[in-house]
Amino acid sequence: MEGLFFNVNNGYIEGIVRGYRNGLLTGQNYNNLTQCETIDDLKLQLGPAYGDFLASLPPNPSTSTLAEKTTDKLIAEFRYVRANAVGALAKFMDYLTYGYMIDNVALLITGTLHERDTRELLERCHPLGWFETMPVLCVATNIEELYNSVLIETPLAPYFKGSLSHQDLDELNIEIVRNTLYKNYLEDFNNFVNTDPDMAGTPTAEVMTEILEFEADRRAINITLNSFGTDLSKTDRKKLYPSFGRLYPEGSYMLSRAEDVEGVRLAVEGVSDYKTYFDAAGMGQSSAGAGNMSGGTGGDGKSLEDLFYQKEMEISKSAFTRQFSFAIVYAWVKLREQEIRNITWIAECIAQNQKERIGNYISVF
Amino acid sequence: MSGAGNREAVFPTRQSLGLMKSKLKGAQTGHDLLKRKNVSEVIYHDPILPGISSYEITEITRRIDEAKRKMGRVMQIAAFSLAEVTYAVGGDIGYQVQESAKSARFRVRTKQENVSGVFLPAFESYTTDGNNDFGLTGLGKGGQQVQRCRETYARAVETLVELASLQTAFVILDEVIKVVNRRVNAIISEHVIIPRTENTIKYINSELDELDREEFFRLKKVQNKKQRDTAAQDAEMRLKRDAAEKAEAASGSTSSDKENELGTGDILGESEDADVIF
Repeated sequence: MEGLFFNVNNGYIEGIVRGYRNGLLTGQNYNNLTQCETIDDLKLQLGPAYGDFLASLPPNPSTSTLAEKTTDKLIAEFRYVRANAVGALAKFMDYLTYGYMIDNVALLITGTLHERDTRELLERCHPLGWFETMPVLCVATNIEELYNSVLIETPLAPYFKGSLSHQDLDELNIEIVRNTLYKNYLEDFNNFVNTDPDMAGTPTAEVMTEILEFEADRRAINITLNSFGTDLSKTDRKKLYPSFGRLYPEGSYMLSRAEDVEGVRLAVEGVSDYKTYFDAAGMGQSSAGAGNMSGGTGGDGKSLEDLFYQKEMEISKSAFTRQFSFAIVYAWVKLREQEIRNITWIAECIAQNQKERIGNYISVF
Repeated sequence: MSGAGNREAVFPTRQSLGLMKSKLKGAQTGHDLLKRKNVSEVIYHDPILPGISSYEITEITRRIDEAKRKMGRVMQIAAFSLAEVTYAVGGDIGYQVQESAKSARFRVRTKQENVSGVFLPAFESYTTDGNNDFGLTGLGKGGQQVQRCRETYARAVETLVELASLQTAFVILDEVIKVVNRRVNAIISEHVIIPRTENTIKYINSELDELDREEFFRLKKVQNKKQRDTAAQDAEMRLKRDAAEKAEAASGSTSSDKENELGTGDILGESEDADVIF
């Protein structure tokens, strides 16, 4: 039924995005990239996919500028899609940008807290998280002003409301603020895809719920693992877990009680996927090397974070198997982000002559 | 006086005297300069020189070499761990880390080490406990990479501190060795070169004086001789004149004339000899 009128409004967008998806680098491309000896070779290999955007780069560019330029391409395409989107899809894409907005706002709050000139920070902000009133954030000179008159005007206002007061911004660690916002955002996004009349009960809701639940679980697990050894209390930690996902509520509760990696492993026992990851990453049994990407200097197995990224990419890839769904836009953005990370990683390995770990990228096509 | 030992082997001529004089002047100027430039006058008067041997320098150079190589490796690992952070976090955390760091966790203290009479500053690094300013960075994702990256960089800084310590020691030891060398040079010039040159000059002077005196004596002798000769000639002339007068008076014997002629010949021969000596 949802397929009947989908193409009236969104057919063009779906076509475009599927086209973009076909433009993603494949395993073969990555193989070629890893054979490169210099960044210039890499640039040449990326030519077909990124041509115009890399053309202005000087010879042997730094990896950061390379990442910047590849991101530029994503931004340009995203803006084009966003400009052509109408109705629920437009709103959906706005939701997609909120995640980046949270990062930007957190950055600006940090700047304001330390009484820096926040205008300089604007260019450090992620372009996807740009919103019209963002430069206004720089006007505020203290946190109270920022909270009462500026943040309230941003799309993120609902996420602040009810969970963070202006004193909190001042006192809490910015990471806690960021993660609280992100938790609220995930819950809101989940709520949105499941209740919006245009999406509820459609493949969009189905796929997006899967993606968002995974994202929620991943955050919960990561926060728990990363909070070991810091002064984040268990009750504070519990507040950062999104209230949905496959781990919710029992798993979340157990996570909030976990004191070490073993505890986390027990908490995720109920979800076979995550359990497999923990076993594959060799965590739980041995407490050493918690979550280092491929164990850093020792061990060359995949780390938990790698496996999570891998899983995210798998879900994103399978999103394209469904038709008449907005989720492909989300999936495409995530895939492209991973691709940029992969390119940066490969470039970094080439630049630093650390070829033995160059194969650490994640490719699903 | 011009005893064999303490002088240079030169011929006592005026030319070498000139040479020696300029040499002495040079040595004195140099010595003055060395003394004036001497960094630590106190050590200068210390009779015992700090015994920096080339062994210490070699040892330090070796350790610097080691530390530099180690730094290269550690820095590479550190840079790579930063790349890992970028990959895991998927963004720039630099600003956040900068802003949330409030006090130094990694600190350096200095102490003095005594290496054969020279005080060398040594840097010692230590970390303050419980100072974890950005422990929550990357809480959502990549937190472990951030922490690991920090540890790696802490190790890198440790190596840098070690290297700094060694290099300071090297520079100071080098300086000390230069001072010692200069001091040795000063002492050598003060106690060896200058007296030696002075002795040589004295020797040359005395030799030259000796020659002068000999010369003078000889001249005197020659003069005496000449005077004596002239006196003899005069006497002879007088005798001849007297004899001629006598012959005029009473036509004298020829034998006495012959004897007189021979004597005159001898006298001429002698005067010629004197000429040759001149």
